[in-house]
Amino acid sequence: MSATRLLSGGVSRRDFIKHSSLAIGGLTVSVALPLSAATGGDTGFQPNAFVHVAPDGTVTLWCGRCEMGQGISTALPAAVADELEADWARVTVLQADGDKKYGPQGTGGSRSINIMLEPMRQAGAAAREMLVAAAAQAWGLAATDCYADNHVVRNRQDDRELGYGELADAAAALPVPEEPALKSKDEFRYIGKPLPRHDQDEVVVGTRVYGADVKLPSMKYAAIRHVPVMGGSLKSLDKSALTGIDGITAVVEIPRYNKPFGTLGGVAVVADNTWLAQQAVGKLDIEWERGPHGDYDTDAYKQELVRNVEAPGEAVLDRGDVDAAFENATVRHAATYVGGHLSHSPMEPMASAAWVTDERCEIWASTQDPQGIQNTIADYLGRQPEDIIVHVMMAGGAFGRKFKCDYVTEAVALSKAIKAPVQLTWSREEDTRTGYYHSCSAQHIEAGVDAEGNLTGWLHRAAFPPISSLFDPSVTRPGESELAQVTGHPYGVPNLRVESGESIAHTRIGWYRAVYDIFWGFAFNVFTDELAHKAGADPLAFYRRIYERSLATAPSDEPRREQAQRSLAVLNKAAEMGEWGRSLPDGHGLGLAVHHSYHSYTAMAVHAEVQGDEIHVHRVDCAVDCGLVLNPDIATAQMEGAVVMGLGLALRTELKFKDGAVVNSNFHDYPVLRIHETPPVINVAFIGQDYRSTGLGEPGVPTFAPALSNAVFAASGKRYRQVPFAAAEPV
Amino acid sequence: MSNTLTVNGQDHTVDVDGNMPLLWYLRDVLELTGTKYGCGMSLCGACTVHLDGNAVRSCMTPVSAAFGKKVTTIEGLSPDGSHPLQIAWIKNNVPQCGYCQAGQIMSAADLLERNPDPSLDEIHAAMQGNICRCGTYLRIRSAIQDAAKSMQEA
Repeated sequence: MSATRLLSGGVSRRDFIKHSSLAIGGLTVSVALPLSAATGGDTGFQPNAFVHVAPDGTVTLWCGRCEMGQGISTALPAAVADELEADWARVTVLQADGDKKYGPQGTGGSRSINIMLEPMRQAGAAAREMLVAAAAQAWGLAATDCYADNHVVRNRQDDRELGYGELADAAAALPVPEEPALKSKDEFRYIGKPLPRHDQDEVVVGTRVYGADVKLPSMKYAAIRHVPVMGGSLKSLDKSALTGIDGITAVVEIPRYNKPFGTLGGVAVVADNTWLAQQAVGKLDIEWERGPHGDYDTDAYKQELVRNVEAPGEAVLDRGDVDAAFENATVRHAATYVGGHLSHSPMEPMASAAWVTDERCEIWASTQDPQGIQNTIADYLGRQPEDIIVHVMMAGGAFGRKFKCDYVTEAVALSKAIKAPVQLTWSREEDTRTGYYHSCSAQHIEAGVDAEGNLTGWLHRAAFPPISSLFDPSVTRPGESELAQVTGHPYGVPNLRVESGESIAHTRIGWYRAVYDIFWGFAFNVFTDELAHKAGADPLAFYRRIYERSLATAPSDEPRREQAQRSLAVLNKAAEMGEWGRSLPDGHGLGLAVHHSYHSYTAMAVHAEVQGDEIHVHRVDCAVDCGLVLNPDIATAQMEGAVVMGLGLALRTELKFKDGAVVNSNFHDYPVLRIHETPPVINVAFIGQDYRSTGLGEPGVPTFAPALSNAVFAASGKRYRQVPFAAAEPV
Repeated sequence: MSNTLTVNGQDHTVDVDGNMPLLWYLRDVLELTGTKYGCGMSLCGACTVHLDGNAVRSCMTPVSAAFGKKVTTIEGLSPDGSHPLQIAWIKNNVPQCGYCQAGQIMSAADLLERNPDPSLDEIHAAMQGNICRCGTYLRIRSAIQDAAKSMQEA
């Protein structure tokens, strides 16, 4: 692999997305197409940052969003190619560098399709209209008499055609249309089709280049040991064990950089190869000062969270009269749910290469947020963000972890220290022990059902160290926005009280695939199942009654009407697919769950068997509404992956702390799911395809664990109220 | 024994510490980066290569253990990416992030070499040392079954 292949191509590209017009929350993006398509001396035609047509007809499409396996670098470029009427076989997809001209690139929150599909379609459509206009000009015909068709422009007068390559230079001289016409659904060539990923050929022969694979001229390799406790520091360092070892370039102390994506601090060794660096860093005699969080113990902390939610907390919302609803209820129920910390543990540990000189800072990283790297490193080096060049490498899994660029900060510090390019790869142990973790949590729910079987009152208390603590260490509990899934209650219950419990963070809390929805989905669905059984109702009938009641009582313009309709639709579909109500042998059971997150809806019917302490999942039926599906095969794969991740976190993966530091270290004590444990049948169906497209990277994850808990109860009468199930005995 | 080994048909003389794991010799010295680091403890299988035709975890195999032997990595599994497993992997759209897939394919190739018609349990037994965090396991299974079928028909 040549190093130069990784250097930026230097193609001049025009600004396309008007960045400043992004709505907060990222729901809408307005597109500003440049008035002229002049391309600054490049050959071919580049009407915007995302599309280039070369005179030989090759189409290059840049994907601004980061690829980590979710398939976005196929799905979005395919939508551009569709509107462009390009032949996919003649399209090359390139991963864009970090640059505002690509619009928002922070790839998380299942937002890529939600916010970028329309601008990407417009990028393709604008280019197509210009190619058509160029052909019309060449033929002396009206543009309306000409049309694009799979990489050529034809006309309705005769059988002449002009290829995209032949038209590229002429198209480049034309004005870019302000409002290009988008295709209608029945004209789609690629959208909605199971197009294979663009990079499969490289993956299966081992040539796909990940962040950890980057090679640069005269590059050194680094390994690091971090301060094991957030807020701790280096007390003493004895390097004498390294005396006389050849091939070691430097031992570098990296002080804590106290920014959200800075670094915990630690000691790194830079050497001729990764193995030498790993060996050497292990030989260092290091004493750490554990600092203010040196007593963090997750077993004790989770008990504290439970105490904090089983007593009155700080009021966040008080709607109607919950007390009166409870007094008038004929069925009342209360339960407490607990969840542990999770580690993302992508197969590729944190890895980044950096090359810092006085004039230049160039970074090659597996990342979900290249512009975030530009900002963090600009602050760190005292330079401007636009002077930090970030090449986005294929991420070997990320799941939210690679949104935080602490490992890049460290690679930059090392390159600066030794004045040479450095590739830093964290060991699996460092990846496991010094990450940004999914928050542990406790929730206490009480609810009442009236004589007619309607849910009338709901009390919901939640305590979990929130992600906002990363940005503001004075935060002591989840804030209002972090409780939005509860205050915007999925069932629209009339009498609702929401309270938060104290939950001070003692480690770095970060986004993990589906974030808080993992524990919201669990608590809402397991509690609903418990309530149904207590009310003597069939769970499916009980869910239906809740959603139908919500629909009947919601004002016509309320978002919860649509939420209730779409939730009910996926629930009914999953129940139908899973043959809800079918008779099963002893020890087998079916469980349902439904969850709305990131603007998409998923429901699952899980068929489980319980044999003593062992739980086997025989079949999972998933119904999904993420609007119009761009690529049904990739979307199906996201759901399969969500089930696998969901089963691992439901059964046994938990990250634990003792004396401030993480206890787990590698895959033997953080046992993620393996092939023989995977449910043998995972069926996925998509409904609601008339709705606008929304994301699916995360929404499948929250639904599995509660459906499994409910299935286990149906099978055995054992009720798991915590994830992982292994953390405590069932009720 | 001499300090030479053959990687994907090419001879190399090793001039690093013989204790260096084969993984890092391949990745950092030969710059063959298709073989991946995942755990360093033979727990995840991302580093799987063939040593004289048998699957080994290169992260815990000292390079000296390969002296005088033939190493095959994902880059050398077939001359042009046409191994039945590679074809089946593409047909089943197996990879998501793809990082573990070289190790998965190398483990599967070893399985099919020894057992051309593996049962489901045999596939599970052979593949349970290979972790995929994206959760592509069902497709890995289908791809192995497809490849086994096509190899028998060939």
